[in-house]
Amino acid sequence: MRRFPIGTANGPRLGALLALLALLAGCAEESPPATSQGFAGLGAEANGFAQAAPDTPLRFPEDHGPHPDHRLEWWYLTANLEDAEGEPMGLQWTLFRQAQRPPGEREAPPGPWAADQLWMAHMAVSRGELHRVAERFARGDSREASPERDQAGVTVRPFRAWLDDWTMESRVAAPGHDALDRLTVHALAGTGEDAFGYRLDLVAQGPLVRHGKAGFSQKSADGQGSIYVSQPFYEVAGEVILAGEPHTVSGRAWLDREWSSQLLGPDQSGWDWFSLHLADGHKLMAFRLRGGGEAGGDYLSGTWITPAGDATPLEPDDLRLTPLERRPVAGREMPIRWRLELPRRGLDLIVAAPHAERWMPTTVSYWEGAVRVIDRDDGAPRGVGYLEMTGY
Amino acid sequence: MRLILIALVTLLGHYRRHPGQLAMLLLGLWVAGALWSGVQAINASARESYARAEALFTGGLDRLERRDGEALTRADFVALRRAGLPVSPLLEGEVVTVQGERLTVIGIDPLTLPGDSAFATAGGGAPSVFFTPPWRTRLAPESAARLGLEAASATGATPALASGRTLPPLALAPSLPPGTLVMDIAAAARLLGRGDGISRLVVEADALEAAPAGYRLLRAATLADPGELTASFHLNLTALAQLALIVGLFIVQAALGLALEQRLGLLRTLRALGVPGRTLVGVLALELVLLGLAGALAGIASGVWLARALLPDVAATLQSLYGASVGTRLALPWHYWLGGLGVTLGGLAIAGSGTLWRAARLGVLELGQAQAWRAGFQRQLRGQAVAGGLAALLALATGVWLATRPPGEGLIAGFVMIAALLLAGALWLAPLLAAGLAWLGRRARRRPLTQWALADLELQLPRLSLAMMALAIALSANLGVGSMVGGFRLTFLDWLDQRLAADLYLRPPAERVDAVQAWLEGRDAVAELLPTAEAESTLLELAPRGGAPQSLGLPVTLFGITPGEHLTPRWPLLETREGRDAAWAALASGEAFINEQLALGQGLAPGDRLVLQAPGGRERVTVAAVYPDYGAPRGEVLLSTARLRERFAAPPGSIGIVLAEGHAAAPLTRALTARFALDEEALIDQRQVKALATGIFERTFAITRALNALTLAVAALALLASLLAQARERRRRLAPLWALGVPRRTLVGLQLAQLGGAALVTGLLAVPLGIAITACLVAVINVAAFGWRLPLHVFPGEIALTLATAVAVALLAAALPALTLWRTPPRELLAEEETT
Repeated sequence: MRRFPIGTANGPRLGALLALLALLAGCAEESPPATSQGFAGLGAEANGFAQAAPDTPLRFPEDHGPHPDHRLEWWYLTANLEDAEGEPMGLQWTLFRQAQRPPGEREAPPGPWAADQLWMAHMAVSRGELHRVAERFARGDSREASPERDQAGVTVRPFRAWLDDWTMESRVAAPGHDALDRLTVHALAGTGEDAFGYRLDLVAQGPLVRHGKAGFSQKSADGQGSIYVSQPFYEVAGEVILAGEPHTVSGRAWLDREWSSQLLGPDQSGWDWFSLHLADGHKLMAFRLRGGGEAGGDYLSGTWITPAGDATPLEPDDLRLTPLERRPVAGREMPIRWRLELPRRGLDLIVAAPHAERWMPTTVSYWEGAVRVIDRDDGAPRGVGYLEMTGY
Repeated sequence: MRLILIALVTLLGHYRRHPGQLAMLLLGLWVAGALWSGVQAINASARESYARAEALFTGGLDRLERRDGEALTRADFVALRRAGLPVSPLLEGEVVTVQGERLTVIGIDPLTLPGDSAFATAGGGAPSVFFTPPWRTRLAPESAARLGLEAASATGATPALASGRTLPPLALAPSLPPGTLVMDIAAAARLLGRGDGISRLVVEADALEAAPAGYRLLRAATLADPGELTASFHLNLTALAQLALIVGLFIVQAALGLALEQRLGLLRTLRALGVPGRTLVGVLALELVLLGLAGALAGIASGVWLARALLPDVAATLQSLYGASVGTRLALPWHYWLGGLGVTLGGLAIAGSGTLWRAARLGVLELGQAQAWRAGFQRQLRGQAVAGGLAALLALATGVWLATRPPGEGLIAGFVMIAALLLAGALWLAPLLAAGLAWLGRRARRRPLTQWALADLELQLPRLSLAMMALAIALSANLGVGSMVGGFRLTFLDWLDQRLAADLYLRPPAERVDAVQAWLEGRDAVAELLPTAEAESTLLELAPRGGAPQSLGLPVTLFGITPGEHLTPRWPLLETREGRDAAWAALASGEAFINEQLALGQGLAPGDRLVLQAPGGRERVTVAAVYPDYGAPRGEVLLSTARLRERFAAPPGSIGIVLAEGHAAAPLTRALTARFALDEEALIDQRQVKALATGIFERTFAITRALNALTLAVAALALLASLLAQARERRRRLAPLWALGVPRRTLVGLQLAQLGGAALVTGLLAVPLGIAITACLVAVINVAAFGWRLPLHVFPGEIALTLATAVAVALLAAALPALTLWRTPPRELLAEEETT
């Protein structure tokens, strides 16, 4: 309302708010074909960012916090649970950080609405055919975050990771314990009968595990990779809400911490990634990056973890991954049944998703779901885990 | 089929012999169609713009405000998000381009803004350009022109603003409303210098069941939409267009009547040759349709052109009056084209129905003579007088009904009353003229030539009456609207003078207001400081003096002024409880003034009590006076600045500076600008304010004036067309007079006097009619459309101009036939007489 400025404050009335649609219609025009930079731009050039390199010393709890000079980072939790009736449930809580500008191009001091860092959180709860997903976004600068000042961030002392009211917080008070040994994880989305979410207590039964060479996990034959640390030993208890109904749950969870500036090589299109809790107490992480291997083949890698937490990297020829069965999911052909072989350890396993419909229809979309592990020879159950497939 | 074709060709052949009649017909259709479709094009474009503006509120977003009245900041946003509430921040402001255009800036956070579709940029890559430097400015293509750019070359440009800052690179988004720049909140905060402040917190409609503690939830449904506010303005435009359409159709009717009259013989011949009557009527109807299509298409094409020419003014008006942004480029939906065609053809059908009816009742054997038709004229006059009486009764009845309604209602009824008045005037014109002629004729028995002229005019009357009616309508509408605009101009300029008490208006950044004020207080050049403040509130309840309180939820603007010694004597007041001095004392002690809009809209008067929403709870105030307010479309409550800032936590607004005797503004302006590094926007001279306000005012009525002038032109054309159509016949009648020895000079003079006299009577009738229309406009239409009532001004100059216009138009229209007569050799006149 433009008033005659007769000594009035002449405040612009704009009543106008923006339809996201209008905005997105425009954004889409500017969007380049996604394939040129691999899955979700993860293969984009990392000019100006810090590079993940072998022999990077890791210090905790500092390295539980963010590494804003690296382009990509995540705090990624998946859990295989059962409710009181013994019905399997799966869930996911993930906080992604993506730097929008290299350290040298950031404004100092940052403005109040600086978007040097884009934060993205995903959460999912699944039970049987039901698979509920939510995502949220936030912007942030690259300074140390504070829960009062920032919509999203991660602090080290105490360990807290959050976006809005989706939180992962350390309950460790005593010194001498790793901050991630005891966590509380919370997320809730939807309202009323549509509500889904969880509040879980996690207690680690083993140590942190460093993948690759002391935490540097190579991601292609030409040597690039990420810093990759896991806590795969969580025992979980808590409450899950699905379709508005509360369920008391217990089970196992696996937390991945990974940061890098260029996760995929220019010729890599995506990955298939497994985190398995084997019934005998061993843990197994294995992945296949499609493209980027020797002579243009796939790049395979993994870690064999004993119940005590001793980790052995799996060399490319230690591991064989063969898709056995594809199903149409969200308009794509997804391999939801795999053969996983560790010849030197005499393991020949079938890893299969009981429910194929675990597509994450988020802005960055991918397949993420619980799997069952059985012996290929006698069909005996050998464990549970999670499978993630991207770039399809 | 062949028969129809032959009949059609034969009938159309008439227009080959009389191309003037064809031209007149098409002209009428063209003019009527052009004005009508022009205005409809403007309305359609405006509606399209409103639809885009409303789409911005897609699904209607709810709003959160702090209960303590403090301004919202980023901290509120973060706290609410951390509590799990899906709120999103918006930053709103205005920037001024180097061309002086004001554009709205909306800063959004696309990461949290509610919306169904996923935000496509999260994966990184190019879409993040929107929220990372140098950001993007999204705008509608038509907004590019206001930045001095062609839409085609606007993408990527970074136009500079008056403040010296540049906009983020432009990106076109046709779905945005015109005049709105959308950018990331980080870019907007920097451009507007807002730090971490935000204008509002929005949340998807009905996402929250209740407001979180410490906040107030405003539902989307309660926010006003521009379509409602501007409806009255568009109704005004439409009424004017309808007037033009009617006047244009008068021309058509006159031309059609004449064409039929002259073809009566031809029609009879055709009937005698065996063409069935029904076929003949069908062929005439077909002829109408063909003519109608040609005229209507030409009319619509010109209408679009006209709209294109007027739209920038209309857009400016809507922007300044209602804050509604309307594009300056036409956007026409498909139904616009069909509608324009339909209305023109429909009008033609009405205008031509009489012709068809008469053709259908044509007797084969009846001799073709106009006299028989003329004999029926007396009957027609009586009928017209009766119909005019009925229209006048309708006007009276509407007027009486309106008088019983609360003011501010009855916009449609107001237009009905004006239409009935116009109709009554037009219908009475011919009987009045006839009666006048008869009376004059009796008094002029001794002067044969005069008597002849009067009798001759009486004979012409049936043909002229329609054109005269059109003239009467156009003249009275012109006088009515002219007087209203003139009256408003006087009142408005007066009001502006009274309200602009200070010499300079200063708007320092909020955090420096106190420092600036302290500095100013110590200057010799400053006689008095008049700080203001402004806040938004809700009128919760009103209680008439001694009456029961009435619950309400009306958004109102609170405006704070300082009742200083330089302001109180000048500030205009309409109503007070116990005189001006008592009212000002009451304001200083905490009571309130309300503007006329609020008083009329809610039926409030001094002495009534209001309950307003305030940060600390409910605030009660008593109305001490009502003041006129021509600057805002909605209700406003005036308080003293001190009270507004204290009780409503209002941020400081501008400071009015009254200069001491003998001090000029320039040195103070320079010192202020240098001392506080203010930008040029922050300091406005009183003259600048006046120029700006007057400019807005002039633009507001430019369209009204333009349409009015066009209507008058159409009426003049109608009269000219009627006269041209019978010029030949008239010459024939003058030939015997010439043969009797009357000189041609006298004959020409007679003709001019006949028409001039008739036009003068028409003009005289238009005067009271015009004044009645002015009265209706200021007392009913303006109150309903704008919310304020004006005193009724009558301008003798305007009346004289109306009369002069009437006579001039008639003389102009008569001059051409007279000139032909002057030039025609007398022998030819006699020859014409013989050929009949």
